[in-house]
Amino acid sequence: MGEKKIIKTTCKSCHGGCGALVTVEDGVIIHIEGNPESPTRGTMCSKGLSSIQHINHPDRLLYPLKRMGKRGEGKWERISWDEALDTIEQKMKESIAKHGASSIAVSQGTGRGYNEYTHRFARSIGTANIITPGYICHSPRLGLYGLVTGYGRLYCDYHGWGGEFPKTQISWAKQLEISSADGEMAVWFLDSLKHVKNLIVIDPRETALSSRATLWLQIRPGTDAALALAMINVIINEGLYDRDFVENWTYGFENLKERVQEYTPERAAEITWLKAEDIRKAARLFAEDTPGCIQIGSSLERQANCGQTLRSIICLLGVTGNIERPGSMVAWMPPDTGLREDFFTEIPITPEMRKGIVGSDEYKMGAARTAHSDTVIKQLLNGNSVIKVWFSVGGQQILHLANTTEVIRALKNLEFLVHADQFMGPMAEIADILLPAAHWLEIDDIYDMHPRFMIEAHNRTVNPPGEAWQDSKIFNEVGKRLAPQYWFENVEKMLDYQLKKGNMTWKDFSKKVVHARMGKDQIYYKYKTDYWRKGGGFPTPTGKMELYSTVLEDLGYDPLPYFQEPGESSVSTPDLAKEFPLVLTTGYRQPFYFLSQYRNIPWLRSFQKDPVMQIHPDTAKQYGIEDGDWAWIESPRGRIKQKARLFPGILRGVVMATANCFYPEEPGPLHGLLKSNPNVLTNNNHCDPMYGSPDLTALLCKVYKAEDEK
Amino acid sequence: MVVDLSSCVRCYACLAACRIEHFLPMGMSWPRLIELETGGDNPTVSTYSVRCNQCKDAPCVEVCPTGATQQRGDGIVWVDQNKCVGCRYCVVACPYQNRTFLSKDKDKGFFPGIVQTDFEKAGKKLYQHQIGTTEKCNFCAERIDVGLAKGLKPGIDREATPACVNTCPAKALTFGDLDEPDSEVSRLIREKGGFQLHPEYNTDPSIYFIDGKIGQVEATKIEDRHQKEPHTVGVGD
Ligand code: SF4
Ligand code: SF4
Ligand code: SF4
Repeated sequence: MGEKKIIKTTCKSCHGGCGALVTVEDGVIIHIEGNPESPTRGTMCSKGLSSIQHINHPDRLLYPLKRMGKRGEGKWERISWDEALDTIEQKMKESIAKHGASSIAVSQGTGRGYNEYTHRFARSIGTANIITPGYICHSPRLGLYGLVTGYGRLYCDYHGWGGEFPKTQISWAKQLEISSADGEMAVWFLDSLKHVKNLIVIDPRETALSSRATLWLQIRPGTDAALALAMINVIINEGLYDRDFVENWTYGFENLKERVQEYTPERAAEITWLKAEDIRKAARLFAEDTPGCIQIGSSLERQANCGQTLRSIICLLGVTGNIERPGSMVAWMPPDTGLREDFFTEIPITPEMRKGIVGSDEYKMGAARTAHSDTVIKQLLNGNSVIKVWFSVGGQQILHLANTTEVIRALKNLEFLVHADQFMGPMAEIADILLPAAHWLEIDDIYDMHPRFMIEAHNRTVNPPGEAWQDSKIFNEVGKRLAPQYWFENVEKMLDYQLKKGNMTWKDFSKKVVHARMGKDQIYYKYKTDYWRKGGGFPTPTGKMELYSTVLEDLGYDPLPYFQEPGESSVSTPDLAKEFPLVLTTGYRQPFYFLSQYRNIPWLRSFQKDPVMQIHPDTAKQYGIEDGDWAWIESPRGRIKQKARLFPGILRGVVMATANCFYPEEPGPLHGLLKSNPNVLTNNNHCDPMYGSPDLTALLCKVYKAEDEK
Repeated sequence: MVVDLSSCVRCYACLAACRIEHFLPMGMSWPRLIELETGGDNPTVSTYSVRCNQCKDAPCVEVCPTGATQQRGDGIVWVDQNKCVGCRYCVVACPYQNRTFLSKDKDKGFFPGIVQTDFEKAGKKLYQHQIGTTEKCNFCAERIDVGLAKGLKPGIDREATPACVNTCPAKALTFGDLDEPDSEVSRLIREKGGFQLHPEYNTDPSIYFIDGKIGQVEATKIEDRHQKEPHTVGVGD
């Protein structure tokens, strides 16, 4: 028997944050389980636990590679890190000299603790063309909450630190119970359900919680704003709103009142396919049984009416006074180490950088600090691309952007693409330089939770395979070559720097694992204190929570929320609906995959081999599709096939396709990308005016049996 | 064990926890998730996290010709792999289909024909999986025994509690002693109308299921904000 130790660390197989105990014997991980002393009290999900098959995976990228043949031909040559870094440095410097720093794009996947490096790197070299999935996931919320709280974060108070838990919870287009999305951990939400009186689930299909909830609203995809506005209508007209909060702390109530008059429950019922009495019931429950909170899912941000949908929901929180009250929506204060964002916001975006942001003239909220991805793609196609060099880390834009066929063509027009990843995949295949990245079990790093009240340590349990590096090291080393004044001697120094406000070194923090501001240390009702504004108030131009947004008005947007039909629907495009009669939504996720990840992890893949689309048995019958059939789903952009699951829990006339799928085991360069990925069907021409979010989860399609398949 | 159908969120964590705990070969899964659908205008789906029921009158024990499948004093039914001859009578006898025969093709590695991972190599030394024998959930007997030896209590102390129960984020799985009237499992069965699956099989399973609505109780005020575990009250009617 050799040396055996148990290492405390933090999982980020998803958005993450579960405390993990990893048993290592003779340098081999022999066990992983949850850490009972962590804020996730010893629970872990299938993804985190199956990490054991991830780190030992034979397909891991081990060495930097350089493209030899044509783009996507799959011919690679192993190179040294020095050669890789030299090439990247030279290409970036050339591009900066020739086209300016904005010609460099830095992209990332979900913001899982390394986004601080992505942003710092980009800003340090003088570009703000950061490409992130944020605009279809979480950023719109942050931006619009920002109009309320200044720094842009409001989270459900699942913790009871103020003495109360939410009495009414709305789970809106979200499955937090299986996703730990945005670092709001499933386990916190689930624990808080023990205290809830009313759970309202808004989802077009049955979920684990919906059929056991107090009220389940099976809404037509893309019509959520109409529901929210009708709920406000009921709450105001029946006098159920929080008078004290509305009178003292909000701005524009009368305007909002006037605006929502057109959204009667009856009218909203027509739009949403709900019953007017259910809309009334939801409104009354939420207004009467307070405190309450609303968990917003990113499906609402994958729609071209996303900005106003979120504004409607935020106004609903406002009129019910569910802001900053214990058990409602709270802007958590960070621990003494400060906001992790400080690591990049300390390098401001200069006016010149701002001018160079692709899409900034059009999408004034979404493309203020980051680029608008779909405009980048269009420019690459049209030959007028600002972006020449693309440095891609931690995500595969080729999978998650709308209209895959266009995206593939566009990316081929890049002058230079560097991609860092753990595995070969569709994005890696078209790169010029490929860098091997490390897994969370192999890194020393700081993990920040989106709710921002704590940071956690990733402690290295084993060394990365081959010559793989952690993302922070990749950025530090490239950064040192291009903008040395902003970068560090080594990763440990960089970690020390990020912790210095809390008077900690990395070594201290690594032992501590969790550093949090919880319990009594959180202050509620910040608007009644000097926290945001001397003498109390909100950090807005009027000092009030703006139901009527003066900020949006200044930017040229409607200051009051409204409902708009999705770009494609039986209402907005009736002719198209004749050929494509079904509603297509592409938000189906499985608890054992995370976005495009883990289809190559054997245990996880065993839970569901093929991508599945859910369809109501009655609808399926109409189109001759039986349970288990492969079926084509076709939209005006193309067609894909997924396996049909006849599911009585989904609205009739709606097709729910599994998102972000490819087949890692199939040959490159595409790895089956065009076969089943619903973004082949999605539309990048119709985007939200504020955020630029395209219609991904409310479109039209038709379905038919794939005759050639069993 | 008690499984709360209204709490289970179909996350598959219990399956993964069991696999890593017991170094299960690729084709093997001891627990399973089974979905039961009801259609109509208010469709519901119930997901049952099932595993060997450790039946009190276990037909698998009865039919085993070699005495490999046996029941301990605490009720756990287990298979002595050294005695099992692979006749598979028990697989047929279990009316709940909770037993799996470990055939050669089920003993596939994680990455067959490519590599045997370090974890699998370690597993070969640490946990026996004999090809040609029958396997099933053993309520993590090894874990329980190690915990008991330390004076810990199954269902209360993690180190004496099954892996799947520990990892469940929804507290859908509760473990404990059915013979103890004050145990949490006994209380849940009593107060929430616990039921066994297919009682007509007459095997007296040690796993009970409960179901109910979420959130039919008054929201709780917490007196002491600093309680480590927030005070919780029961859910459902
Ligand atoms: S929920 Fe997320 S953080 Fe927790 S174990 Fe699963 S993947 Fe890891
Ligand atoms: S771990 Fe718990 S919630 Fe998840 S599937 Fe198993 S029983 Fe259900
Ligand atoms: S009790 Fe143990 S052996 Fe049985 S299913 Fe759960 S983890 Fe597996």
